[in-house]
Amino acid sequence: MSDGLRLPCAGPRAARVPRIAAFVIVIASSASAASCATVKPSEREVLSRPEMDPSSEKHEEEFHAHYESSRQGSFGGHGAAGGGCGCG
Amino acid sequence: MRLRLDLARASWLALAAVGLTLLVLAAILPGRAVRAEDRITLQGNYFREASTRVLAPTIDIEMDLPDERFTLGGSYLLDAVSSASIAAGAAAVTGGDAVFTELRHQAALRVRSKLDGWTFGGFFRYSSESDYISRAFGLNVSRELFEKSGTLSLAYSGSFDRVLVIRPSFRDTVPWISPSDPAIATCEAEDPTTCGNNLLQSHYFNVGYGHALHRTVLAGLNLEVQYIHGPQENPYRRVDGAFFQAHPYTRRRFAPNAFIRWALPRAEFIVFEQRYRLHVDDWGVLSHTTDTRLHFRIAKILRLRLRYSFYTQKGANFWIPMTERPYPADAELMTSDPKLSAFMTHTPGIQLTVELKPLARFRGLRWLDGAWVQATYNHIFPVTDHPLDYYYGNARLGSLAFSVPF
Repeated sequence: MSDGLRLPCAGPRAARVPRIAAFVIVIASSASAASCATVKPSEREVLSRPEMDPSSEKHEEEFHAHYESSRQGSFGGHGAAGGGCGCG
Repeated sequence: MRLRLDLARASWLALAAVGLTLLVLAAILPGRAVRAEDRITLQGNYFREASTRVLAPTIDIEMDLPDERFTLGGSYLLDAVSSASIAAGAAAVTGGDAVFTELRHQAALRVRSKLDGWTFGGFFRYSSESDYISRAFGLNVSRELFEKSGTLSLAYSGSFDRVLVIRPSFRDTVPWISPSDPAIATCEAEDPTTCGNNLLQSHYFNVGYGHALHRTVLAGLNLEVQYIHGPQENPYRRVDGAFFQAHPYTRRRFAPNAFIRWALPRAEFIVFEQRYRLHVDDWGVLSHTTDTRLHFRIAKILRLRLRYSFYTQKGANFWIPMTERPYPADAELMTSDPKLSAFMTHTPGIQLTVELKPLARFRGLRWLDGAWVQATYNHIFPVTDHPLDYYYGNARLGSLAFSVPF
């Protein structure tokens, strides 16, 4: 396998950063494109149900974050942005 | 001072506190139907693994004063942690296999204000146990966009903790000074630990965006960043049976994550939810988490949620598997922390929520209008090629919650 494209200082960690940046850019671009869509207040009946509301699980998320911090080396994933349903 | 109590006593204390609160609620809540957002939630959490059991009852109250323009909330949590020793794997330090139960108290106060599409919030939280004191505060702001189809949110929180270590021989606590503390290297005092600091700081930032893509689809993205500075080792664990752990003094963590919730067409009583989280940090810990959930509305008042979560993690770059020990004599960083090793977990879970609205038709129970009861169970199955390092076995998480408006 050729190393022609690898920069002299680029190790595995250096290669990881652009990959993460690309991931964030792709996701953010998709979200930006989708954000043109709006849902009228009269169409938000389904969105206002508890099972569609991320904030309805905040107590459970706090407990999960607590035990995960004692068993995993990672963090995050419990602060999902709410809203979107316009029902708050 | 570390309390050495019988777990059963702590359990009965927690149950008595919950029971007393329910009695008070029944007495003070009037016999009328209410629709306000003011709400009280009681939750009993239970966690059990091979060497540790945790009972964590919580109470949370939120009130609009007088409406959503100013909301005040507060919570109290009691953590009753029982383990075979102060730190699993450090029985030698604590003198054998006696069961220790330690209590942690946590209280939090929060405020929120909603004004013309903007929401502002803040909190302060204080937590105390025999060998750890934590003070944290946070600020957040969010803005509704695109005719309330989207919400952009920003949050910051900082915590300032004091890490102590218990000396069983002296029955006291002293500040824990990390072997990695940079002040030690330049210290000229006879006892270099006097130059160190036991303050552990954390600065956390979160930017998120949630959007209703369709009348049945809600999706969101979050980026979480955390900077930690201070002693980050468990003072009670030993490496190769003799040395203190030495973790890097700073840590930078980065966790982008995304979610989608979709009420299935022609079967809108079923909601499909998918979450994904990537985590990387400058300690070399890389992890992926996928979490798939199905929410079923079985009946008008009954909801069922099934869950499966998969987690995989690469070990920290200074972790050496137990089978390849000991650490080199010149190693500056050393760990025996299981959560810094390489492992995977599978977690299935089930949750049942019963809305109590039908009971509110009966005289004397009208205060149950808007109330619900929720039972949750998750079981964690770890998988690892390094069972000597990640020695946590299966774990069970259960919780029972009761929430009522007032």
